[in-house]
Amino acid sequence: MKTVYKFAALTLAMFAVSAYGVSQTTSTKTKPSTTVTQNLIRGVIGPAGNNSSWANYSVFNLIPGSGLFPITSTTTVFYFGFTGGTEADISNMVLYTTARGSLTVTAVTPVKLGGVSNPSIMLSNTGVCPVAPSQTTPCIVRFDPTTITLSTANDYYFTVFYTNDTNNSGISGASPNQNQSSISSAYYGGTDYTHLTVGESIPGTSNRGSSFLMYVMNN
Amino acid sequence: MKTIFKFAALTLMVLIVPVCGFSTTKPENLERGIVGPVGSNVGWSGYSVVEQIPGAGLIPVTSTTTVFYLGFTAGTEADISGMTLYTTARGSSTITAVTPVKLGGVTNPSIDLASTTVCPVAEISTFNPCIVRLDPTTITLSALNDYYLVVYFTASDSNNGTLGLTSPSWAQTSLRGSYITGNETGLAVGGAIPSSLNFNSQPYMLMYVMTD
Repeated sequence: MKTVYKFAALTLAMFAVSAYGVSQTTSTKTKPSTTVTQNLIRGVIGPAGNNSSWANYSVFNLIPGSGLFPITSTTTVFYFGFTGGTEADISNMVLYTTARGSLTVTAVTPVKLGGVSNPSIMLSNTGVCPVAPSQTTPCIVRFDPTTITLSTANDYYFTVFYTNDTNNSGISGASPNQNQSSISSAYYGGTDYTHLTVGESIPGTSNRGSSFLMYVMNN
Repeated sequence: MKTIFKFAALTLMVLIVPVCGFSTTKPENLERGIVGPVGSNVGWSGYSVVEQIPGAGLIPVTSTTTVFYLGFTAGTEADISGMTLYTTARGSSTITAVTPVKLGGVTNPSIDLASTTVCPVAEISTFNPCIVRLDPTTITLSALNDYYLVVYFTASDSNNGTLGLTSPSWAQTSLRGSYITGNETGLAVGGAIPSSLNFNSQPYMLMYVMTD
């Protein structure tokens, strides 16, 4: 037993020396503390198209597990592109999880902006949109990081319901017509679909390029 | 000194166990796969389904194994006579390597789609396709090559006559596919992928190509 302990001590010493002892790089460089912002999936290549008038619409953006890049992140950050309007009023927004290829909801995660799930986004404020939103200069709004690690075994539906009001009648969103992005979408008028529960179904398949959602990143 | 040795042994164990003992590989996409839900195409008796995995679309993940996932949308049993993976130089149709692909250790499996251990959702459909994971194939995909997975469904087989394969409707994947009558799983090195095939469409059946 004594020999085993001696062997363990020797091995540990070898690990320690090889890791720190003669490693000049480790001893002289400091590790950067910032997280590199990376795509979790192939996003929208812009400038994108334009689709207007969103009052009383639920917008589903599908983030397919089959398109995820091999990056592990405990947070997921969504970026919306607005191409017109002065204020976007959101009643609620959630992220639905389904098994890959299925429409049955297995988890519901709230998504927030400024700490709330029903934000009003002031597009006319230069603090929000430095340049007035248009198709060629979309205003990119970054939502709060959502604490979820995306998995290749699942699909995810980022769902937003736009309040039935005049502000939303005047807003426009990025609407790419290309299939280059891995993100796709569907939208439905007249129903708030952001309150589905586990076991219920997404109302239909995504059948067009993404709507509003431009990027899904780790930060 | 004895205490130091004991402490060293304990520390070594603490370091080794997380590295070796509980090390699980997270499945990663090797190609951009099918975005579902999908459509369906029925009746595959006597057909070879030819799936293209292009080197140009590979995601930079290195893996010594490649795992194919097949999607079924209808039927109770899939009878396969052979499964093969052909390697060609990127953009070429000349075969440079032939690798057998297996399920349950054989290249000619019958897949019991009615079994809930195979397909957890009892009645498979376009909204709930049955995704079957083939055995890991020992091959490291290279961006310099293209790969063709060929699956031949047994001819004159009533099971395959009612078999439904996934048929993607949304052209976002990097995978491509085609099909041809007859068994194309026996081609040899130096042979060619049938010139009558084109790979402008998304693949039937092949859903994902992953590390695990």
